[in-house]
Amino acid sequence: MDIDEPEIHENSDEDMAVGPSSNKKDDKEHNFWKNNSNEIKANPERFGIEESSMELLRVFYNRFFPYKTYCYWLNYNNIEMNKSFQNREFNFVKPGNEEVYIRYLSFDTIEEFKNEVLRVCPKKIDIGAVFTAKPKEKKSLKLSALKPVEKELVFDIDMDDYDEFRTCCSGATICEKCWQLIAVAIKILSAALREDFGFKHLLWVYSGRRGVHCWVCDERARKLNDDERKSIASYLGVIKGGAQQTKKVHLYKNSIHPSINRAHKIIEKYFEQVILEDQEVLKDKQEWTKVLDCIPDDNVRHRLNDNWSDNPSKHSIEKWDNLLEELNSSAKTTKNQKKADSLQICKIEIMLQYLYPRLDEAVSTKMNHLLKSPFCVHPITGRVCVPIILEECENFNPMTVPTISSLYNEINDYDRRNVKNDRERNLHDYEKTSLRPYIKYFEKFIQNVLKETLAKNRALNQTSMEF
Amino acid sequence: MFSSTDTNNKRALASSNIRGDRYEVKRHQKYPHALNFYSVPPTEEITIDEFEGFAFDRLQVLKALEGAILRNKSEEDIKDIDKKLSLPLHSDDAAKAYPLEEERRKDHISHFILRLAYSRTVDLRNWFLKYECALFKLRFIRENKEERLAFLNNENIRWKNLSQAERELMREKFTKEESNACSITYDDELFEIDFEKVPDLVAKRAVYIKEGKAYVPTTEQISLVMYEFRQRLAKALELASKSFITLRNERIMPMLDEIIKYDGRTQTTNNYSLIDNPNADNLAEHFPLCMQHLYQNLCEKHHLKHFARIQFNLFLKGIGLTVEEALAFWRKSFSEIDEAKFLKDYAYNIRHNYGLEGKRQDYKPLNCMSIISSYRPNSGEIHGCPFREFSQSNLSAKLVQMGVRDEEHIKEILNLTEGEHYQIACTKYFEITRGLSDKNNDNVIIGTIEHPNEYLNASVSNEKNRMKMNNKDKMVNK
Repeated sequence: MDIDEPEIHENSDEDMAVGPSSNKKDDKEHNFWKNNSNEIKANPERFGIEESSMELLRVFYNRFFPYKTYCYWLNYNNIEMNKSFQNREFNFVKPGNEEVYIRYLSFDTIEEFKNEVLRVCPKKIDIGAVFTAKPKEKKSLKLSALKPVEKELVFDIDMDDYDEFRTCCSGATICEKCWQLIAVAIKILSAALREDFGFKHLLWVYSGRRGVHCWVCDERARKLNDDERKSIASYLGVIKGGAQQTKKVHLYKNSIHPSINRAHKIIEKYFEQVILEDQEVLKDKQEWTKVLDCIPDDNVRHRLNDNWSDNPSKHSIEKWDNLLEELNSSAKTTKNQKKADSLQICKIEIMLQYLYPRLDEAVSTKMNHLLKSPFCVHPITGRVCVPIILEECENFNPMTVPTISSLYNEINDYDRRNVKNDRERNLHDYEKTSLRPYIKYFEKFIQNVLKETLAKNRALNQTSMEF
Repeated sequence: MFSSTDTNNKRALASSNIRGDRYEVKRHQKYPHALNFYSVPPTEEITIDEFEGFAFDRLQVLKALEGAILRNKSEEDIKDIDKKLSLPLHSDDAAKAYPLEEERRKDHISHFILRLAYSRTVDLRNWFLKYECALFKLRFIRENKEERLAFLNNENIRWKNLSQAERELMREKFTKEESNACSITYDDELFEIDFEKVPDLVAKRAVYIKEGKAYVPTTEQISLVMYEFRQRLAKALELASKSFITLRNERIMPMLDEIIKYDGRTQTTNNYSLIDNPNADNLAEHFPLCMQHLYQNLCEKHHLKHFARIQFNLFLKGIGLTVEEALAFWRKSFSEIDEAKFLKDYAYNIRHNYGLEGKRQDYKPLNCMSIISSYRPNSGEIHGCPFREFSQSNLSAKLVQMGVRDEEHIKEILNLTEGEHYQIACTKYFEITRGLSDKNNDNVIIGTIEHPNEYLNASVSNEKNRMKMNNKDKMVNK
């Protein structure tokens, strides 16, 4: 790719101290605009804060965004651009403080897509469905001619949904401890999608702040209609009930679905570390009350509450052992079989309530739903929405994800160090930075997806030859 | 019905048959089963009376089912809904001797008439599909196991069945709890199906799913059968809609039109003019929201556009306005339009509605179904059903304006419209504004509104009753 070196302007540190969109609640969070302020050089006379971040975004779109792989992905073919890409709806959010959406965009070629991205410099890109016609021609089409026909099956897990018990952070903030909640969710969901539904191509993407998205790219998944999507979301939705509901998981002792059993086995591996050690959900009364509320027996609840109130300094792990003993002994002594069953199953219910994935169903059930694209930049944190390697999801650290300003610095450092080094001129810009492993992983993932369509097309050609 | 001269119709109905090669066209000498997948169209002759009667009787059943389902009636409640109305369909093992052959013939023919009538638009097709499925389902459940099996065999419906050995492998793998959750009993059959075909079972986590295949026990067979039924009927409806375009038959078309307009409970010949004095000013208070909206616009702007005019004029006709009265009313209302233009542009259409111009068809007042689904308003047009055409915020503002003040009520109505239950929303609106909604009383006070004129009549008679009650109270107090 031959891209002109972007013009960079000088700036003083002072003006950069507070970002325009930084949220006061986010003070725990690694604030992109704040932390990197002294490294951005722009002219305060000519540019305000927004403009300098715009410059960084422009550099990102100019030098780092993986246009080719990205477009081949959505095209599901790297030979010629087809309907899969050309009839795909994109949505750009214009740069600036206000949320100005440009909807029903679509592009015929990679070049057209790239040029438009560079021209608009969107602070967010959303991907929609593949339609029966080109979305950009919406105005000249009959309403009935533009219908969604295909889209990846997508899932959205947001840290927000864990706030009712998360003790390490709250709201938009995230740390390595609470990332583990997401990591376990990723494992459970991936296992279900692979083993139960037989999907192979799961692209997990960090949303840039406190959540993750999953793009299921298998052809069978892309062709699901809304009813089928709804049925999968419902199959995977175990946690039910809103803020007014304390107990959110309901199981029957004599009837546990294999997928729940598998999730339970995964959770067993992480529950102690993630929930009892890291989150310490039994640390003080306010927290442990939430756990006790899930127990269907007043006496058990009271006994545990009294016990822990007398020894509040006991560690959560010890308290959990108390809870299990209580449940067991009460289940044994009660003569009511129903009650015994509900006490025995209660342990699993609590574990699932804390670690089973909390899905935003609306995102998954509508084919027509827009979802933030991989490799766009989170407008507040400045982090790139990079793919997460499934096998290493526990070690993924959202705090160290490249931001548009860290990439900017990296590439400048590299260029300064290697001014006279001709040998590496052939390297892509991303390869000179910490973005490299993410794009490499993305490329490999897409290659696997394309291989399958290629094989399928070949088989199709062969059968058509036979006639 | 399809007398030999009506070759067009015969072709239309025959081509709505699914893939002729797989389901060979055979003459129905008799109906071996009560259940019917309706793959083969009827080819006998029937009288016009039968044609109409059969269609309306089936429609009544479908409408009743719609009402029952939207009101969340239990399966037990709707079990015999077709038998209670005039479309009985008894099994072979029924205790009494029913005219089985006759019942099945009527079921068969009536289905195909409605299929053709309802193939016209996407909305009509979806409606028909939904309630035909519901009807088939309750009938399938009603049959005993042997009869179901015989029927499926006859229709050549089979699914991949796991062998005893495969089932044994599964038994070893699963815990007792897991088998229970997937309703697997290893001694009975287990079908292997793509999970897409049983979305209801997937959603409930009621079956075992592995690598894209769902393992469906015989107890959940109904889901598979319904999938087959729905797919076939959906395809057949698409085909029927295509042949509908080529169907130009002067005898059949008007009858099919009548069927669509039929509102399910009142006969088409029903006269809506129950109102003593149609010109009374306060009658507008009893208008349903759709007509209120048109009337208010007419008063403010002294004009209504084409479809709004038709909708409102036929409504007035239903109230009992004569054509002279209607012409006088419109003349007065279109006060900013001069006499010549009125006569030239508008009077014709008004007279046309009354069957005095053109092909002299005596148009019936539009029912809710037509207002909701045909001729949806474009930008600038205000006709249609407000519960469907208004945005949520506009509708809630309108409701407040019309005197619905309770937040709960507004929310309830908005939820219904969001779920596309426009007529139920309208009924709810009626109950609320007429002081008939009682939270502690879940009984249905009035049936679902099916027609704007029915709404008006219900409102008027409701007020009459209230006045009577009040008078009675006064008498007692004296």
